[in-house]
Amino acid sequence: MASKERSRRSDKEGQEQGHTYPYKILVVDDEPDLQPLILQRMRRPIRSGKYEFVFAQNGIEALQRLAAEPDIDMVVSDINMPQMDGLTLLEQIPSVNPNIRSVIISAYGDMQNIRTAMNRGAFDFVTKPLDFKDLRHTIARTLRNLVEWREALASRDQLVVLQNELDVASKIQQSILPTEFPRHENYEVHASMEPARNVGGDFYDILMLERDHVGLAIADVSDKGVPASLFMMSSRTLLKGTAIGLPQPGMVLTDVNDLLYEENETAMFVTVFYAVYSPMTGKLDYANGGHNPPLVIHADGSSEFIPPVGGIALGIARGIPFAQGSLTLQTGDTLLLYTDGVTEAMNAESEEFGAERLQAIFLENPPTSAQATNDAVFAAVHAFAGDTPQSDDITCLSISRTSG
Amino acid sequence: MEINTERTDGVLVINAEGRIDGSNSAQFLESIQAVVSDDDNGVALDFGGINYISSAGLRVILLLAKELRQKQTGFGVCSLSSSVKEIFTISGFDQIISIFDSGADAVGALK
Repeated sequence: MASKERSRRSDKEGQEQGHTYPYKILVVDDEPDLQPLILQRMRRPIRSGKYEFVFAQNGIEALQRLAAEPDIDMVVSDINMPQMDGLTLLEQIPSVNPNIRSVIISAYGDMQNIRTAMNRGAFDFVTKPLDFKDLRHTIARTLRNLVEWREALASRDQLVVLQNELDVASKIQQSILPTEFPRHENYEVHASMEPARNVGGDFYDILMLERDHVGLAIADVSDKGVPASLFMMSSRTLLKGTAIGLPQPGMVLTDVNDLLYEENETAMFVTVFYAVYSPMTGKLDYANGGHNPPLVIHADGSSEFIPPVGGIALGIARGIPFAQGSLTLQTGDTLLLYTDGVTEAMNAESEEFGAERLQAIFLENPPTSAQATNDAVFAAVHAFAGDTPQSDDITCLSISRTSG
Repeated sequence: MEINTERTDGVLVINAEGRIDGSNSAQFLESIQAVVSDDDNGVALDFGGINYISSAGLRVILLLAKELRQKQTGFGVCSLSSSVKEIFTISGFDQIISIFDSGADAVGALK
C-alpha cells in the first residue's frame, strides 16, 4: 500500500481533475451496519458533493446495479456474501463495465483471498475492521488511477470506449463458456457454441463435483442484449454455486429457480437441462427446466430422447419442484445435450431441422467421440440450413462413456 | 407483424401470423398492449397462423400474462399448431398459461 503522504497528494490532484463530481462509489456488503457507518464517516466528501455512495447486498445485486448505472466509477466490495461473493463479482465486473476500479474488503491477514482478488483485477484492498482514514485514502488513490486511465482512453478512438451493446453482451456470453474440458479414463466430454449474429442466450457448463462426479448443464436464456447477458451470468453463477453444494439435480434446479425468480423483474427466463454423471457406474441423474430433451446415442448409431420428467423454464414461477429422472449410459453410449438452435434451424424452404434429422445423423455415422458427435451435429445443421442465416445460437455438449 | 383483433362477449381475440422471434417480439408486445382495453374481460392470442415462436416470443407471452393478471383480466392462447404446442410443452409454458383448442373455446372460458 502507498504511504499516507502519497495518498493525500493523490486526493488533492483528484480534485483538480475535470471530472464532474460527485464520483459514484458502489459499496457491496451483506452487513446492514456498513451503510450508515459509511454515510456517517464519509459525510464530509458526501456533503461537499465529491462522493456519492450507493449500496448493494451481494455480487448479483451489484452487477445489476452496475449495468443499470453506467456512471458508477468504482466498487468497494466485501468478499464473503450470499448468492455471489466478492471474488466472483470481481471476475464479472469487466464484462459489464470495463471502466471500473475495484477495492476489496478482506479479513486482516487473509493473504490467499487478497492475492486471488488482485489476480482478478482488484485495484487495491482494505482490511477489516475498517479503518476509515485508510478507506478514504484508498478511495482517493483508486479514483486518481481511474481518471488517468480515462484520459488515456479519451485520446484513443471513441468507438473503443462506447461499445455496441450486443458486442458487450456477446463478450459476456463468451467469457463464461469453458473451452477446456476435463480428461478422465472413463469418459470424454466436449462442448461448443456457435453464436448467432444477433446474439442468442445459450450457455453450457461442465462442473467437477465431489467423488469424481461431473455436473453437465446446458441452457438458453429467453432474450438478447446486455440485460439478458446479466441474467445469463446470474443463472450460470447460481447454478454453479448451487450444484457444488447439492448432489441432486432436481434440488439444484428448484433452488436456482427460486433464486432467479426473486431477482427477476423483467420476465426473463432460462431453460436448463442439468445432470450429474457418475463415471464409475455410468449413472446419470437429471432434471429438466423446460429445455429440449437430450439424446442418448448408442454405439450402433441408434438413439432415443431421454424420458421427460416435466419441469418449467427457470425464473417464471416460485417454489415449483423439479422431478428427477435417471438412466445409465452403457460403454460406448454418448449423451448429447443441445439447444433449440439445432432443432429449430431453418432451411430456405422454412422447414425446421427437427428431431428426426438429428437422430438420422448418427444412424449413418455412429458417434466415435464426444467431439465428433458435436462436430457431426454442426456439420449436418450447416448443410441443412445452407445460406439461410442462423437466427439463434447453436450449442452442443456431449459426454461419451468410454469405459468403466 | 400485423395483428387482427375481434371482440366477442368482452373477450379480445388477437390473431397473428408468421413467426414470433427476437426480431419482432418487442413490436408484437407493443401492438398487443396498444389494443388491449381496461374493459376487456379476457384476452386470447389466437396462434392459428403462427408456425414458430422463439423463447423471446414466449417471454412476450409471460409479460402479457403478468400484466393482465395484475388487472385481473383473463388470458390464454388458442389454436396452437403442433410445432408451437410442442414448444409450449417442452418449456413448461403449458403448465402456466391457459391453452384452448379454438378461439370460441377461449371466448367461452374467458368471458
